[in-house]
Amino acid sequence: MTPTMRITAAAAALFAGGIGAAQAEIKIGVLYPTSGTGAVYGVPAMQGHDMAVDEVNAAGGVNGEMLVTFARDTKLKPAAAAAAAKELITKDNVDVLVGGLSSAVGLAISEVARQEGVVYIATIPKTIQMTTTKLHKHVFRTSSHTDFEGDAMAQIVAQLGKTKLCDIQLDYAYGHDLAAGIEKGLKRHAPDVEKVIDLRSKLGATDYNAQITQILGTGCDVVTSGLWGSHFVNFAQQAQPFGLFDQVVYISGGEIASHEIAGRMGKDYPDNVWSNTYELWYDHTVPAHEKFQADLAARAGTKETAMWPVLAYIGVKFIAAAAEKAGSTDADQLAAALEGMSIDTPVGPRTIDPETHQADTGQFWGPMVRKEGVDYRVMDPVTYIPAKID
Amino acid sequence: MGLHMPRGTLIVCLLIVGALALLPLLESRYLIDLATEIMVYALFALSLNVIIGFSGNVSFGHAAYFAIGGYVNAILLTTYGWPLWLSFPAAVVLSALAAAFVAYFCTRLTDIYFAMLTLAFSMLVWAIAFKWRSVTGGDDGFVGVAVPAFIDSRVPFFYFTLVIVTGSIALLWTICHSAFGQALVAVRENLTRAGFIGVNTRMMRGLAFVVAGTFAGVAGAIFAMYNRGVYTESAFWTESAQVLIMTLLGGMYSFFGPAIGAAVLYILERFANEYTEYWPTVAGLILLVIVLVLPEGLVGLARRIGARLVRRSGA
Repeated sequence: MTPTMRITAAAAALFAGGIGAAQAEIKIGVLYPTSGTGAVYGVPAMQGHDMAVDEVNAAGGVNGEMLVTFARDTKLKPAAAAAAAKELITKDNVDVLVGGLSSAVGLAISEVARQEGVVYIATIPKTIQMTTTKLHKHVFRTSSHTDFEGDAMAQIVAQLGKTKLCDIQLDYAYGHDLAAGIEKGLKRHAPDVEKVIDLRSKLGATDYNAQITQILGTGCDVVTSGLWGSHFVNFAQQAQPFGLFDQVVYISGGEIASHEIAGRMGKDYPDNVWSNTYELWYDHTVPAHEKFQADLAARAGTKETAMWPVLAYIGVKFIAAAAEKAGSTDADQLAAALEGMSIDTPVGPRTIDPETHQADTGQFWGPMVRKEGVDYRVMDPVTYIPAKID
Repeated sequence: MGLHMPRGTLIVCLLIVGALALLPLLESRYLIDLATEIMVYALFALSLNVIIGFSGNVSFGHAAYFAIGGYVNAILLTTYGWPLWLSFPAAVVLSALAAAFVAYFCTRLTDIYFAMLTLAFSMLVWAIAFKWRSVTGGDDGFVGVAVPAFIDSRVPFFYFTLVIVTGSIALLWTICHSAFGQALVAVRENLTRAGFIGVNTRMMRGLAFVVAGTFAGVAGAIFAMYNRGVYTESAFWTESAQVLIMTLLGGMYSFFGPAIGAAVLYILERFANEYTEYWPTVAGLILLVIVLVLPEGLVGLARRIGARLVRRSGA
């Protein structure tokens, strides 16, 4: 949030109640990376956050109280995020924390929330630990996690009837967790699939030639992967001359079906890629999405919009709903309200599990295909795979 | 120089420690946190200055010992359930041993080669923290440090930090102003000459490195408990660069300069983060200004202004 917007929000909060001084407000501490490498995700996320806050306030706030945002840059560093989270609590007296990007940052903020007894809603981190081994009564997650993602990938492997699988992941927390998620999913959905090779490449790597030739040498008919963002762009550019995408179906987590990647790669986006995304700007299966996307497009100034805003948007909507239900901003009451809470979002209804504090956030999955009239790939057909592990 | 602190400095130090001891009376959680963080960074920067300011070498990898102190303390407390009075000294000793190991190799070299080797070793520490997932938690970080109950809340932890940091700084001051410290200054000023008059220059530089690593370990061990977590980034070269800037900003030719640099840079960073996402630009500009205009840092600037005032009043 820019300083101007913050002032506007504060001013709106002041006027809405009419009686200025007595006006109570709900203070939201928001933590996204808005500088450096993380800014590609954090800046659009802030747009979604601000949009949700403005919507709630325009509708009269929560029980007459306006939402006010206090934003800090996490710089994608866990210690900086922890310091910022503490500062939001102790200096700005925020009632609730929201945001986070990357597993380490999410876990660091969660640890501060535990210490300080403040509710934290993680909107982007996917690490499975957050809602399992590191779960505490004040942490909630509205994004998906690697077990859901891996399970969906295994379902697609089974659906396509593939038999020889190569797995290539980035050698860091997300890659390891996703590999474990796929492994578990394969046992459930495609126990006969033979896993031929496990490849790991460095986070931030730009050269994938060694791995590409290794995959080609094994004769796999399906590749599962979690190479996200630039990693996928580089991999695809190097793998195409070898004809890799003619030999295998490439099933990927890491949201490379999002328009950020499809739009960026344009005609270079390879064939035979199945991937996931939390949101697609052109998919209005959920009726509320049409208005959401139009508003977002107006805010962003582009017809096509990014996927990240919806995650931050949903986080704010959960806060508003919980504060309304609890009738208070007391952390324990907010947490109690969030347990089992359901809300409607532009990408479908979402419910937070009262035990695990994890929302049933599934993702849209499908093949990325060419489309007449546009020079980027689109997902067609779009299938929503719910967050459910049987 | 001698082992007696000048009276003026001593009084200022006592006043600062006294003011800090009274800080919790303000009942501001924010100020207590900020003061705790600054004390840790001040100790970290002061420790680096033993290498830079006293022995005249530049280390680009000082974060390694901060991280080792942090990881070891966190892991012993949490994974192995050691009591603090064992885990903390163990963390410090291991930081010292690691520094001794690195010093053995680095002190064979001087100047840029020394600096590059320290960087290489620190990235090795980073890589171990990153890869050894089962022990360090990898890049998820080691989260949820089991902090002993008696310092598990804000104010007790603040006093714990105050006591440890004050004690450590007093010890560092004593070391730096002992015969050992003065021999280091001789090595810094003229390595060859110091060698000729019988100083074992390689051993002196090595010992300075170990002292620095030890106190960086103390800072790291405190910080891990303060954050309830340790992360791979604390061993990354950017962290080494940050503490280097703190030291230079404060002034490397003054014992307390780096602590002032740490406080100023840390507070600047926190405020900048509230209003702009361009902190790296701000930090870059600060570094430029130090290199171009303030080679002796803030303390050097204060001394120059002081000298000018004295001259003017004398004229």
